[in-house]
Amino acid sequence: MIATVLDFGVGNVHSLTRGLLSLGLSIEVTDNPREALASELLVLPGVGAFSAAARQLAPVREELRAALADGLPCLAICLGMQLLFHGSEEGQGKGIGLIGGCSTRLTGDRVPHMGWNTVATASPLLSDSQPMYFAHSYACRPNDPSAVGGWTDCDGDRFPALVQTARTTGVQFHPEKSGEAGRAFLRTWIKEVERCA
Amino acid sequence: MLTRRIIVCLDVAVGRVVKGTKFEQLRDVGDPAELAVRYERDSADEVVLLDVSAYAEGRRTMLDVVRRTADKLSVPLTVGGRIRTIADVRQLLRSGADKVSINSAAVADPFLISRAADQFGSQCVVVSIDARRHTESWRAYTHGGSRITGLDVVDWARECVARGAGELLVTSVDCDGMREGYDLELLRSVRAVSRVPVIASGGAGTAAHVVAAFVDGMADAALIAGIVHDGITTIAALKADVAAAGIPVRLETAA
Repeated sequence: MIATVLDFGVGNVHSLTRGLLSLGLSIEVTDNPREALASELLVLPGVGAFSAAARQLAPVREELRAALADGLPCLAICLGMQLLFHGSEEGQGKGIGLIGGCSTRLTGDRVPHMGWNTVATASPLLSDSQPMYFAHSYACRPNDPSAVGGWTDCDGDRFPALVQTARTTGVQFHPEKSGEAGRAFLRTWIKEVERCA
Repeated sequence: MLTRRIIVCLDVAVGRVVKGTKFEQLRDVGDPAELAVRYERDSADEVVLLDVSAYAEGRRTMLDVVRRTADKLSVPLTVGGRIRTIADVRQLLRSGADKVSINSAAVADPFLISRAADQFGSQCVVVSIDARRHTESWRAYTHGGSRITGLDVVDWARECVARGAGELLVTSVDCDGMREGYDLELLRSVRAVSRVPVIASGGAGTAAHVVAAFVDGMADAALIAGIVHDGITTIAALKADVAAAGIPVRLETAA
């Protein structure tokens, strides 16, 4: 399969593309959201600022939401996951709106939430006991928790670490930075995508 | 539960990991990418590459080192040293760094912190503060601890956070290399004014020192270097001792 990584132009997408290559995927990196629409498998990476990324997605927002709702397989990481929702306190602009709700600033004692934290989950994609790497100041607040497949707690602020709807998987942690646990997540995720293809 | 991190720091000069007093009597100890991966397997939570090249020629070599290291590493990579401009930050992130650590340039131009945080997000901006004790307080130093500034460390830490720093890497120049423990009072004083994570640095000699940095120093992460480079202990052994003291740490599962 060919995974299309939509590059928001500012951060490190190097580690992510390398992680995907190791799964046997072919990779295309593009800053053109039109190409995202035409992809076989879409990856929204986890680095950048909300408003700039929302601006980049704006011309195709409605079509992208329809494509994802219709079953385009997608992995959305960190900021990418937040873009699945309607908006964010972090900045102006609209998200894709695939999942109802917005991102707001973390309320814990220590922000950014930075480091390795566990996910309370029953999902086959993740293990309860193995910490994943997080680096973020905002978190998704879904209107309806039914899409949430795993929760993480930061100083008493509980937020979704994993959401799944249609064939889209959103994660607040960085699997490409989470060592062996992250590789295991990506391997299980790609098997699930291939099984449903 | 959020675990406390143990971060390993590698000094890099013109493409090679070196040991010794900065700029003096540097001894070649290996390839940065290979050593970084070895430490990942030893359960390092993050890796820092610090460019200590004495000459500007180190810069281009460093980008190549970052690319090669990021190619092999699956835990976060921070790069510091010789970062002067937003263009430097962008280049490092695009080469595979997850975060940059800024020190002297932030002191010279504090707006660099704000600009980097605005463009790339706070989570990738680490401000590194080198502190030396001056009777009742600490003064910030730059250029590898050799040049004094007019800044009180606690005031400067507060300003860095206000400007958008995502983490503070606080090094006691007095304790650095002594292996007699971190400066806990310094860590507590910075912690008191900082909402962002604080990384303790300078002085690690034993697991007890790391435990003290977490418990008494209230640090979120501890930086180590010499004690693992010299083979005195391993990160896995340190973590086992830290876990035995009741502090949550990540224990890497075998591949």
